[in-house]
Amino acid sequence: MSIRFEQVSKSFGSKRVLDGVSFEVERGEILFILGRSGMGKSVTLKQMIGLLKPDSGHIYVDHQDVTQLDENQLARVRQKCGMVFQHPALLDSLTVYENIAFGLKTVQFIRSAGGALPEEEIKRRVIEKLALVHLGPEILDRLPSELSYGMQKRVSLARTLAPNPSYLLFDEPTTGLDPITTNAVNDLIHDLSRKLQVTSLVVSHDMACALKIADRILVLDHGKILAHTSNELLKLSQEPLIQDFLSETLALLPPEERFDSLAGVRQ
Amino acid sequence: MMAFFQELGATSLFFVRVVRTLFSTQGNFQPILAQIAFVSYRSLSTVLFAGVFVGAILVLQIDLILAKYDAEIFLGGLNTSTVIREVGPLIISFLLAGKIGAFTAAELGTMRVTEQIDAIECLGTNPIHYLVVPRLFGIILSSLILLFLGLLISVGGAMAVAWFACGINTLEFASSIPKFVSVSTFFAALFKALIYGAIVATVSCHRGFTASGGARGVGQAVTQAAIYTNLYILFANFGITHLLDLAEKLTQSALGVSP
Amino acid sequence: MNQSLVWVSIIQLFFKTLLNLFQPSAWRRSEIMQSIIQSGIKSIPIVVLSTAFAGVVVTQQIAWHMDLALHDVSMIPGFTGQFIFRELGIAIPALLLVSKVGASITAEIGTMKVTEQIDALKLLRIDPVEYLVFPRFIAGIVSSACLTLLAVAVTLCCSGLVGVLGYNFGILEFLNGMKHFIGVADLACALVKGVAFGSLIPIISCAYGFRCEGGAQGVGTATTQAVVSATVAIIILDFLITYLFTWFL
Repeated sequence: MSIRFEQVSKSFGSKRVLDGVSFEVERGEILFILGRSGMGKSVTLKQMIGLLKPDSGHIYVDHQDVTQLDENQLARVRQKCGMVFQHPALLDSLTVYENIAFGLKTVQFIRSAGGALPEEEIKRRVIEKLALVHLGPEILDRLPSELSYGMQKRVSLARTLAPNPSYLLFDEPTTGLDPITTNAVNDLIHDLSRKLQVTSLVVSHDMACALKIADRILVLDHGKILAHTSNELLKLSQEPLIQDFLSETLALLPPEERFDSLAGVRQ
Repeated sequence: MMAFFQELGATSLFFVRVVRTLFSTQGNFQPILAQIAFVSYRSLSTVLFAGVFVGAILVLQIDLILAKYDAEIFLGGLNTSTVIREVGPLIISFLLAGKIGAFTAAELGTMRVTEQIDAIECLGTNPIHYLVVPRLFGIILSSLILLFLGLLISVGGAMAVAWFACGINTLEFASSIPKFVSVSTFFAALFKALIYGAIVATVSCHRGFTASGGARGVGQAVTQAAIYTNLYILFANFGITHLLDLAEKLTQSALGVSP
Repeated sequence: MNQSLVWVSIIQLFFKTLLNLFQPSAWRRSEIMQSIIQSGIKSIPIVVLSTAFAGVVVTQQIAWHMDLALHDVSMIPGFTGQFIFRELGIAIPALLLVSKVGASITAEIGTMKVTEQIDALKLLRIDPVEYLVFPRFIAGIVSSACLTLLAVAVTLCCSGLVGVLGYNFGILEFLNGMKHFIGVADLACALVKGVAFGSLIPIISCAYGFRCEGGAQGVGTATTQAVVSATVAIIILDFLITYLFTWFL
């Protein structure tokens, strides 16, 4: 049960966003992919579930090469992966309930679950997932346009969780959220991987979050991997970009914590 | 020029993909019916409104010409024939392109740039089956309904204008219609509407479905859809008119009737 | 969106734009040229291509109808010439301009509105009507008038081609036949319609662009509504102008 990228390259026009990238993610691990904007972070995620095809290289999800699969087999891989998008990406015309239940009513899900779920079971699951993201059942009948941006993002997360995926892919999960919700989402990612052994790939440019909950961090720049190490080791890196990222993050921390972090670096 | 053919190719391939999706998944016609109702309801007022005025414009123009020959008895026939053969299908598909084509391109484009289409795909549903199939076939089928209503009202409007502006009463107007129009003319018009509807639907769905780049991208998708639809329709008009001509000649020679 | 309110705002915008005619600062040559290139010159290929096809089809249709009604095809040049000058050569470029130029103006201004660029202009004390609408308005009139003439010319050529190749007219014979039916009034009518449609399209498109709200979806909706409104407005205006001209002809 793992994800493996092998020499993956991808260009858009003349712009090379991934250049022979290889890495592996273990089961239950939380991997943060950091980098500046437009450096191929989201592309990495979308390739993993076949929304984009790499120009060359292979991507293995549970030992299946997703670059070689047809639509039906891809659908089976996607069944195991939940993706949380940059936008809330809720379907405008459906209510919150219908949005979250969407993934529980697809042909693919019914086939893998061995039959359609009864409506009460779906409802139970929807409410359960909504509670996970700290929302109550009173919003079930509302339309996405009637919710705040933060709530939309949380509903979107609940929708992704509904089919119980074993991999979670987050594309900037906390961008545009208030600090409290940001913390809640981070805690949620942490809990899911610890309790349910869900493997998480998080694309972000938030070093502070990464240092807090990631098992390992991968830094992408100009299509290459700049670093792929544990949080502790990353702090020792001499790469200028990583140094910049770290110092920006440290500047945001209160003085005493900043001191601790620096002490960690010196050790 | 190359870009134009690439565009045409991509659009045709998209159409094939949608049709294949329709037949490869088990049929659920509920969404298509809902779409037909939606499209027809939304466009009805515009089609009726424009239909009346188009009929009226044509009557005035044709009457100006016929008056010079004292041939105003043919006004009804000539007007009705022009409306059914050419102007009706063209105008209605232009309106459909503006109203529903642009709407669909905007709707699908918005869903694309806000990642809703990706989300549907990730949740294990084929977005072509879920979003495009009902819209595409809904638009094609409602173009037939709208054409029928548009032609009716257009001829009605022409009759009214002929009466008060050209002094031709309704009986005179109607009496010359059979000389120029037969049931096959009507079916030819329906055939045209079917093809134009397919063009409107395919181009706008394709443009919307492949939009990219935020609000600007959606705007571009809509604009491009409108231009290409109109261009393709005018090309198709040329092709179909010749095709129908040929078909008519063939059937006539097969039946042994001299034209 | 309330339909009657939209029309009020369109008429308001029309008069605001007209006021700029007397303001020397509004006549910024480079902006207007830019707009003419965008709306006029870049539309030439599509207009030529479409009207050429339309010319062929219409000539054949008219010939077929005349043969049936009058058993005489000698009047083809006159009929087609008149029809092209009064309707076809004018309506087709106008409808194409709506979908090409009108839609892109709404999309452009709508995008500026939802990304708050219009508000930024206002804060810089720049009048959006003078800065954005006026150049497009002038360019619309100029391009539409020129394109109408171009379209009429192209359609006539194609129609002549069909007449010469398909119905055995001599070139001179065809031209002479046309001359009897077309006068200065027809040319005036074509130009009046061209100018009227050319001023209508940018105003309607800009008005919808300014009313745009709510991100990508709003831009899409506004563009749709602008195209439909402009199309319907053109058809109605066409009727009115035609009706007025019937008194003169």
